[in-house]
Amino acid sequence: MAIKQTSAATPAAVPERHGHKWLLSAPALIILILAASGPLLIVLVYSFLTPGNFGGVVWRFSTEAWFRVFFSRDIFDPEVVSLNHAHLAIFWRSVSLALQTTVICAILGFPTAWFIATRPQHTRAFWLFLITIPFWTNLLIRTFAIQEVIRNQGLINTTLMRLGLTDAPIQMMYTDFAILVGMAYVFLPLMVLPLYAAMDKLDIRLIEAGYDLYASRWQVLRRIVLPLVKPGFVAGSILVFIPSIGAFVTPRVLGGGRNMMLGNLIELQFGQGRNWPLGAALAMTMLVLVVGALIFYIRYVGRTEDAGREHG
Amino acid sequence: MATPAPKPASTPAPGARVTEIEIGALSKTFGRGAQAFRALSDVSVSINRGEFFTLLGPSGCGKTTLLRLIAGFEQPSGGTLRIGGREVAGLGPNQRPVNTVFQNYALFPHMSVAENIGFGLRMQRRPAAERRETVDRMLRLVRMEAMADRRPTQISGGQQQRVALARALAPQPRVLLLDEPLSALDLKLRKEMQSELKRLQLETGITFVFVTHDQEEALTMSDRVAVMSEGRILQTGTPEEIYNRPADRFVADFIGDTNFLDAVVQDITATHAVVRLPGGARLAANLPAGGGTAAGATVTVVIRPEHARLVGDSADGPADEGAVLSGQVERSVFFGTDTHVHLRLSDGTPFVVRRQNTAAATPPPEIGREVSVALAGGAVQVLRN
Ligand SMILES: Nc1ncnc2c1ncn2[C@@H]1O[C@H](COP(=O)(O)OP(=O)(O)O)[C@@H](O)[C@H]1O
Ligand SMILES: [Mg+2]
Repeated sequence: MAIKQTSAATPAAVPERHGHKWLLSAPALIILILAASGPLLIVLVYSFLTPGNFGGVVWRFSTEAWFRVFFSRDIFDPEVVSLNHAHLAIFWRSVSLALQTTVICAILGFPTAWFIATRPQHTRAFWLFLITIPFWTNLLIRTFAIQEVIRNQGLINTTLMRLGLTDAPIQMMYTDFAILVGMAYVFLPLMVLPLYAAMDKLDIRLIEAGYDLYASRWQVLRRIVLPLVKPGFVAGSILVFIPSIGAFVTPRVLGGGRNMMLGNLIELQFGQGRNWPLGAALAMTMLVLVVGALIFYIRYVGRTEDAGREHG
Repeated sequence: MATPAPKPASTPAPGARVTEIEIGALSKTFGRGAQAFRALSDVSVSINRGEFFTLLGPSGCGKTTLLRLIAGFEQPSGGTLRIGGREVAGLGPNQRPVNTVFQNYALFPHMSVAENIGFGLRMQRRPAAERRETVDRMLRLVRMEAMADRRPTQISGGQQQRVALARALAPQPRVLLLDEPLSALDLKLRKEMQSELKRLQLETGITFVFVTHDQEEALTMSDRVAVMSEGRILQTGTPEEIYNRPADRFVADFIGDTNFLDAVVQDITATHAVVRLPGGARLAANLPAGGGTAAGATVTVVIRPEHARLVGDSADGPADEGAVLSGQVERSVFFGTDTHVHLRLSDGTPFVVRRQNTAAATPPPEIGREVSVALAGGAVQVLRN
């Protein structure tokens, strides 16, 4: 029904002849091909080669790397095959931690962006500036700073023990919690900025109209503000989810060796593991995961078309 | 939150005046210290139930501020505000039986026309069947049945306007506030919507408080008009009172074309005075409410151009009966239905006479001719000093 109405309202698009205008986009196309598709192609090719003894690849076709992404062979009898539970667990951890990071950033980012968007116009630049300050510092340094706060002899634990609230330090380092804190801290600005942009466009009179029509604060938030800033949430979630799922500095420093994420697993294959094809196959797997998640998200969550519709 | 459903304004018995909104010495100051700006000072007015009441004034005079105080978007700095007999100070907009039609309509872009109209009812938790029924009735009322499923971006400005009206009327408020709702429409659509609004107001019997800076709109639509300037109400009255008996130079000047003359009060009663006009003619004049002048005082009087007539100008008028002013023709401006003849009186004051362009009308007097002016009875109004 909605589609029918749309086509009834907007006159059918008149096809236009563009001539050779596409030439104007040639520089962008070349950069896209060289910078995006080129490396991807190399990774794809590498994933079908044979690992060299000391790293690198031997130019011999093999599907072994792809097989090893999902399955493992028995050490004594290569014919005995089982699912690679270690890899699957890491896939799952990565997706799960990235999702949790995204949700935490959304929950913290909304009030932060709202605070900035409701400041007087001339002070907003200052608050946005504060949000971007962490970007100035190296990621590794920021991660070590978090470590200083949460480690056993760190800021939180020493304070708690001084106050006599606990006897022994609470173990926070080398847990999923530490990874979540680190990733949420690092990626929060990526949620705040698009949310702020969406809120900035929000017409304050729509909120007043909501109150005028007997909505409570909660109803105004749920029925008017949230549906209208949803594009900000969608953009922010994508910006946070993608780097989260591939993060490797934060899980390495804060999660220790035991709590690996996909990024660490891939890094391992190119480093100590000396299995470049497996690393390449894992990287491609991650790409598929991300693209799949994005498609799912945009189709089922990011659709702004039906936002706020009266269901049933 | 869930306001007790306001009773649909019951039609008052003919002649009986029930006060719906009672505003007493209301004031509003924005900012504080050196930045403080007094947007409203000492505004008092009562608005009757079922009335089409208009706030008229130039841009920046405080019309929107007064409306926002009534709606509850702003809290007053002083004074009282009662709606339906209840003091509403401290109540939020969602607790007042008042709905607003916003200047830019403020329709929810993510909802269909029908969902916009049903929003207030939904927030009031009215039963679904009642909501559906009311939304359908509102869609018919504003003739938007065919557009129920469209988004606000998919309909024209005039249609958005009607949806905004329907959305504000659907919860059956006691009072509907309209902030320059027609100012964004082109002239033709505007005329249509003026009669549409008037029809809606009569059909629903809801009290309308209408804001405009357009004097013609105010005169043609309103039961009563309050003329505002610089945060104050200068005069409140029916369109006829405001137009024919302006109390104040600002009011006279803002509404319609006006001639201002200096006159001297010769004799005075409670409601009338005898004044001497420039040139020596003595005439009865209306005094403003509250009087305030004494015999011997110099006052300003106003005379509407259409209340003056050039003596001996038309075939049906008496030859030179009742001439009170004389002057020289400076120019004539043709307006279609009438022509404005600009004179300079013998003492140098400019004066305009409006001449109806009937089929039998002769051409206006040529420039430079000496003419005499006669006035209709009751044409002279004394202004407050
Ligand atoms: N929130 C506000 N803060 C400061 N000044 C305001 C505010 N709202 C209105 N004003 C001032 O109050 C005066 C009256 O404004 P307004 O009520 O909008 O006038 P109108 O609707 O008659 O054009 C204007 O001078 C305006 O600048
Ligand atoms: Mg205004």
